[in-house]
Amino acid sequence: MLVFCKACIRKDISDEREFKHDVVRTETSFNFPSEPKNIVILGKDLLQSQAPIGKFGGEMILSTIGEGPKTFNPFTSKDSTSSTMSAMMFDGLFSTSPKDGKIIPRLAKSYETKDGMTYIVHMRHGINWSDGVPITADDVVFTWNKIILAGLGNTSIRDMVTIDGKLPKVYKVDDYTVKFVIPKPFSPFVRILATQIAPKHIFEPIVKQGAKEFDSFYSTNTAPELFVTSGPYRLKEYLAAQRVVFERNPQYYMVNKENKKLPYLDKVIYLIVGDLNNEILKFEGHEIDVISLRGSNVAPYKLKEKKSDYKIYNLGPDTGTMFVVLNLNRRKNSEGNYYVNPQKQFWFTNKDFRTAIDYSLDRKNMVQNIANGLAKPLFTPESLNSIYLNKSIKGHERNVAKSKQILEKSGFKIGKNNKLYDKFNNRVEFDLYTNAGNTEREAIGVMVKQDLEDLGMHVNYKPIEFNTLVNKMTTTLDWDMIIMGLTGSPLEPYDGKNVWSSMGSLHLFNQRTEPSQIEDRYPFEIRLDEIFDSAPLKLDFAEQKKLYDEYQQIIYDEKPIIYLYSPIRIVALRKKFKNIYPSQLSGITYNIEEIYEDKK
Amino acid sequence: MQILFYILKRILQTIPLLILVSIISFFIIRLSPVDPLAELKLNPSISKETLKSEEIRLGLDKPLPIQYLKWAKGFVQGDLGVTTTGEEVSVKLGERIPNTLLLTLVVIFLTWSVGVPLGILAAVNWKTPFDRVLTVITSIGMAIPSFFFAILLLIFAVKSGWFPVGGLTSYNFNEMNLPQQIFDIVHHLFLPVVVLFTISLAGLQRQMRANLLDVLDSDYVKFARAKGLSEFKVIFKHALRNAVNPMITLLGFEFSGLLSGAALTEYVFQYPGLGRLILEAVMKSDINLVMASLMIGAIMLVVGNLIADILLIITDPRIRAKA
Repeated sequence: MLVFCKACIRKDISDEREFKHDVVRTETSFNFPSEPKNIVILGKDLLQSQAPIGKFGGEMILSTIGEGPKTFNPFTSKDSTSSTMSAMMFDGLFSTSPKDGKIIPRLAKSYETKDGMTYIVHMRHGINWSDGVPITADDVVFTWNKIILAGLGNTSIRDMVTIDGKLPKVYKVDDYTVKFVIPKPFSPFVRILATQIAPKHIFEPIVKQGAKEFDSFYSTNTAPELFVTSGPYRLKEYLAAQRVVFERNPQYYMVNKENKKLPYLDKVIYLIVGDLNNEILKFEGHEIDVISLRGSNVAPYKLKEKKSDYKIYNLGPDTGTMFVVLNLNRRKNSEGNYYVNPQKQFWFTNKDFRTAIDYSLDRKNMVQNIANGLAKPLFTPESLNSIYLNKSIKGHERNVAKSKQILEKSGFKIGKNNKLYDKFNNRVEFDLYTNAGNTEREAIGVMVKQDLEDLGMHVNYKPIEFNTLVNKMTTTLDWDMIIMGLTGSPLEPYDGKNVWSSMGSLHLFNQRTEPSQIEDRYPFEIRLDEIFDSAPLKLDFAEQKKLYDEYQQIIYDEKPIIYLYSPIRIVALRKKFKNIYPSQLSGITYNIEEIYEDKK
Repeated sequence: MQILFYILKRILQTIPLLILVSIISFFIIRLSPVDPLAELKLNPSISKETLKSEEIRLGLDKPLPIQYLKWAKGFVQGDLGVTTTGEEVSVKLGERIPNTLLLTLVVIFLTWSVGVPLGILAAVNWKTPFDRVLTVITSIGMAIPSFFFAILLLIFAVKSGWFPVGGLTSYNFNEMNLPQQIFDIVHHLFLPVVVLFTISLAGLQRQMRANLLDVLDSDYVKFARAKGLSEFKVIFKHALRNAVNPMITLLGFEFSGLLSGAALTEYVFQYPGLGRLILEAVMKSDINLVMASLMIGAIMLVVGNLIADILLIITDPRIRAKA
């Protein structure tokens, strides 16, 4: 059904392919106003936006694809839509600069640390929750001690700050000062400090009732008037499968240069749309104001841009990465059978085999034909906008001759009719999976299959349903090669620990199920473990960068995962909105409180 | 009294049926290699401990028969359980059922109030140009696949700007006054209703026409005409009452389709009904949600048939005599 729908939309819009190159070539220069400043007005510590002064009023309509938020509680949300919604209503202590990813103040005024183990956080005087109750150190201490560290809701923050099995300690120094103590220096901690804070006077009675009550608190069934928020907005209306409406929080602590309370927009509305095609129709029908454009949709939009009421922004490569992963697993399952047939193990664990595959893949062709030129070839596990990107890895062009040379050197033989055999005379033949329904990955699968067949390999390409694929990948482990994509953080490589450490829950290429299996680590896995154990303990950016550079080099050399490309993010947004400063790191509507509608 | 006894007997008969339906659907869903936690597992920031506790929360660590018995016990006690994301299934269904009912009831009301009279007219005017034109139109209606027609209308809505692109209400619905609100809902409902109406009208009209033609050809109608009754009396008193039986059975099926019949159209029009919810639940193997909707479907079917049978007893003395 979706295929049909897409086909009709495509046909409907004239296809002007030459324009896509223009889009890529427009290197967007990112101009930002200076960062918001801490100011004191009548004894209140406020945050002053440095963006040009705008007009109050108006509304912006955005969209979210899928079934909408599952909860509005920032501490129980496990999916990105729910997190986006709760971020509208709850501010963190700190935030990251859209320009360079540095820590900038938000709910907290500042922090200081001497040894990287004790952090003193200074709160603002005279700022309030949306119901008028002051935001103080009590809220912070309560949130950390009774919610996050107590293991309520989504425990991923707790897992991240567990250092050597020990949890951080959080103390109240006075009403406006909080002290955090961690057992040893741990650089990702500052970013984790930015976590959202809950209103103690609302959450305390719920926390006392236990985990079950907490999980269903501030859910989608909670009446909007019950929400007490610290962010620029508060909930006004939620209608299942239709929309979420936010209205401005009159108590918000940010002001503009004239010291008038932000945000500018009275309302922010998220329409819940089922799929991409419907989102496009809604943008064309002027029902939404912002849309992320992909692949073939960009050209027609660019073509119509001049006569239209929207502007197209190029945000550069995003945090998504497309890759091919090989199964390097040499273990047996509980029934005593090998996860991967030993004959195939012999190929996959051979570095030359993996290198040959890497050289045979035509990334340029994929970028041109699958992403319509709106992507960049990728050779590193860190995404191209990462501040830790190892720029010395330059990558390579496709080189089939070199691939064949490497294979032959390693004992593989290319027989009659260009068929590849290993040194035991077994035909090289394996399965390639990806998730059906994702047209982009399906197309990559076809190209990878063709590229590998040029080497004489026989590839059985099987797109299967997403949940089934993940089950294969993480539980049954009976696969050979998979095309996947993951999103990482451009600011913190340590977030990928679950992928790179050998006991990680998402250690794709050599998933272990029991701790004892750590014995059979490959040498490069041992080094990766060392890097991911030691890098977070370094507080100096340069020292960290050195270690993370090494990890990227290891992945590039060893190729357990072969990276293909990173899509470029293109967003169309109506021209009537001002104070738009697109950022590679934060996207386009991250400064929602500064955005205003210029009605003419 | 006899009818009450009959109803009781029928209800008892449905119990084993429902148990069988629930067992078959439960095991088919659970035995498929679909992992309800797939999305969490592919999130690099979710730890093994979190995954483990999620598994325990959803009961995925227990053997299948135990999982089934746990579900069945809850279902009998009226507890539909929670979704994989921890929301109450009954609440989720409660959010959507009124929307779906609104759409299907409007469609059923329209098709029956237009389709039946048109069928009668076509039968009475058999082989006249009126009947032939109607035959052509209904054939077209029957031939168009519903999702395709829906997509065509959706694109029409975008291009013309006359209709909203899917949904049920506008984002500023709450600020409108009552007439505006009614207009807004009608505005949104128009296209999905057109799709469903066109398609079910065709079938209904053909059915009615065929039944009536059958009866008009029978001896007792000829006799009624021969004894000089007016054409109106012949058709409404003698023919129609005998032609209506299959229509009542059809009405029973319409009842069972109240909640599920419009799923495809709902999906295309992004209508906030059950269709979208169930589709996503099936994709994610959200067992409690899928089971709840399947059981509702099965119960609706049984109840629909029961209603039809009871109506038949009331309208048709022949069946009454046999029962």
